[in-house]
Amino acid sequence: MVASVVSCLLRGLEGRLVEIQADASVGKNGFFLVGLADASVKEARERVRSAIRNSGLEFPKQRLTVNLAPAVLHKEGSGFDLPMAVAIALSLAGRPPPDGTAFLGELALDGSVRAVPGVLIAAQALAAQGVEDLFVPEGNAAEAALVEGLVVRPCPDLAAVMRHLNGQTALPAQAWALPEPPGEAPVDDDLAEVHGQEAARRALEVAAAGGHHLLLSGPPGAGKTMLARCLPGILPPLTLEEAMEVARISSILGELDGVPLRWTRPFRSPHHGVSTSGLIGGGAGVARPGEISRASGGVLFLDELAEFNPAALQALRQPLEQGRVTITRTAGTVTYPARFILVAATNPCPCGWAGDHLRRCRCSPGVLDLYQRALSGPLLDRIDLRVNVTRPPLQALSSEPAGESSAVVRQRVVAARGRQLARQGCLNGALRPAGLRAHAPLGSVRPLLERWASERGLTARGFHRCWRVARTLADLEEAPAIAERHVLEALGYRLDTSDAA
Amino acid sequence: MLPRDLHVRGRWPPPAGPRVAVVGSRRPTPYGEAVSERLAQDLAAAGVIVISGLALGIDGAAHRGALAGAGCTVAVMGTGVDLVYPRQHAELAARILAAGGALVSEFADGTPPRRGHFPKRNWTMAALADAVVVVEAGEGSGALLTAEAGLALSKEVMAVPGSVFSPLSVGCHQLLRDGAGLVQNARDVLAVVGRSQEVLDDPLQPPSRLGLAALGGRDGLLRHLSDVLPLTAAELARKLQLGFAETLARLTALELDGSVRRRGEGFLRVPPRE
Repeated sequence: MVASVVSCLLRGLEGRLVEIQADASVGKNGFFLVGLADASVKEARERVRSAIRNSGLEFPKQRLTVNLAPAVLHKEGSGFDLPMAVAIALSLAGRPPPDGTAFLGELALDGSVRAVPGVLIAAQALAAQGVEDLFVPEGNAAEAALVEGLVVRPCPDLAAVMRHLNGQTALPAQAWALPEPPGEAPVDDDLAEVHGQEAARRALEVAAAGGHHLLLSGPPGAGKTMLARCLPGILPPLTLEEAMEVARISSILGELDGVPLRWTRPFRSPHHGVSTSGLIGGGAGVARPGEISRASGGVLFLDELAEFNPAALQALRQPLEQGRVTITRTAGTVTYPARFILVAATNPCPCGWAGDHLRRCRCSPGVLDLYQRALSGPLLDRIDLRVNVTRPPLQALSSEPAGESSAVVRQRVVAARGRQLARQGCLNGALRPAGLRAHAPLGSVRPLLERWASERGLTARGFHRCWRVARTLADLEEAPAIAERHVLEALGYRLDTSDAA
Repeated sequence: MLPRDLHVRGRWPPPAGPRVAVVGSRRPTPYGEAVSERLAQDLAAAGVIVISGLALGIDGAAHRGALAGAGCTVAVMGTGVDLVYPRQHAELAARILAAGGALVSEFADGTPPRRGHFPKRNWTMAALADAVVVVEAGEGSGALLTAEAGLALSKEVMAVPGSVFSPLSVGCHQLLRDGAGLVQNARDVLAVVGRSQEVLDDPLQPPSRLGLAALGGRDGLLRHLSDVLPLTAAELARKLQLGFAETLARLTALELDGSVRRRGEGFLRVPPRE
């Protein structure tokens, strides 16, 4: 008879229900797999055949057809091994699977069940479609157990699954377990360890409070990387919703490593040799998430910004504006989240000494021009805050740093974020012009900003950027309205380099 | 000796008056750039024709300063006068022409930049000038060739001193040791080219009485800013024992007023006009 088992196909961060039908019938001996399966799924035939035999089960000696439905969807991955084997075994036994069950997992030749990527996404999608009882590899049980209202059964091997389905020995279920958020997140890099750098400290606080992008510019050894690493520590811990999103991205990449939920904000710092696909997402078949999606909810740090492939940087523009990225590949279009705070760092020139009072810059004028040109244009136009980082005097390094700790700064950041979310439901950095007009009226300071815009030249984008930053500065002070000092400070972080010569 | 042919764009000959070549490194320190700009501005305001080579760095700053001093400035080019090299200075060249200055070259139109042409250009610059002022020049700098040409042509050669730690002042200090005139301000140059009676603000001294009175009343912040060496907002905040945010806001307000400007990562006071 035909036995039909439910499993799940991943398409980016979405899961589609797939039915796997097995039919052993009269005919020439063979194993036929149909339903738009790609090479990785076709290989399952060999694994499934060995796993069934090595689990002490019978493999049909007739013509065996396995169909993956719906046939229009392109299937890939090894997660269909277990449901295929179950469907074959049930078809021989002449029984349907219990109602509301679904199966995911790769089979080893000896019948043991191996972990697969994307189980969290599949579990959420299946639960939404009425699945109640989900059989997953042991290594993926913790992530599947994050989904409420689902009985998750970790499967050691195929034989144990069949004993459960035959009513011999029940597989124990993993309890629904949502890890508690930690009270005080440990901080890896603490601002208390930073010497001086008042400008960068302030900019980091503003960036954290309003979700603004930041450019740190300064000579080598000034501490740009250290400062960037401090940013996650002054951000509030992830909310449950955000942590789930981070977990979904890690799940699809198979990088959860047994820790289903992490509460610290991601910090990604790809090397400047990263390809466009590596940064934005891509790859064959359905695009995989790139660095910008792994950084979603946290910080994307691009050190040596001018050294990055210009095409990769250009591709950052859409995600910076929209907080998500949509990628189309042959196998379909997927959308991944990309809500990160961009921290970019750059030297003043390739050798790092341009503009220094004493050391001589060794770059030729042509190289310098190219370098600065790489740093101009539409990407920088999307960065709200720009500060210079100066090298601290050496004697300061051996003394005790006197700055505030990350915990103190975080309290102000959390309060300022709370005010923004209560007022407008998003951070100031994500406010569109209409939202700015509604929630952040300029009032009496409008003439000041307009005067600057007309006398010094600001693009429309630059105008709104200053406006958003000014609102964040007001929020940090608990000021109900934007005051003149907020606009002036915001203008102080602007990006024009016309006078820099 | 002037070259036989001189190709010119703009007004030629320039108006009567002493001609001073201001030259130096293409990659100066902020100090050198500030000195060049200020010196050229004061010279131009005193009626001097400022000659330079339209290169990046000291040359560009000299032309910009002369334009700021509402003066006439001449760019001696190493390419044909129909090309602008480096191309970043296209706008500067246009401003020089618009202000009644000139672009001159001994090379025919269409001559591209060539390594060997620039030493010849330096010679022409010295030939056109009454005095050559070297602002910043490291060892082997092309500006030293201009100084040598000046010596060979019996022009006045002068140099601006710098920090003894700075490799970019080595050439200037060498010139001074060899007897070049010391340049501390525009007056030193004017004395040599015969305009000593001009009254000038001394670029390296504190601002004039008028300026100080105006500053004191308006913002104590300005008193701590130099018009030559830029200070970052963080350094200023430390000096004034103010918060960084407040200091940045106040600096920006002064910038909008035009009494402060940015240079690189720091801020400079704009000297008050009299």
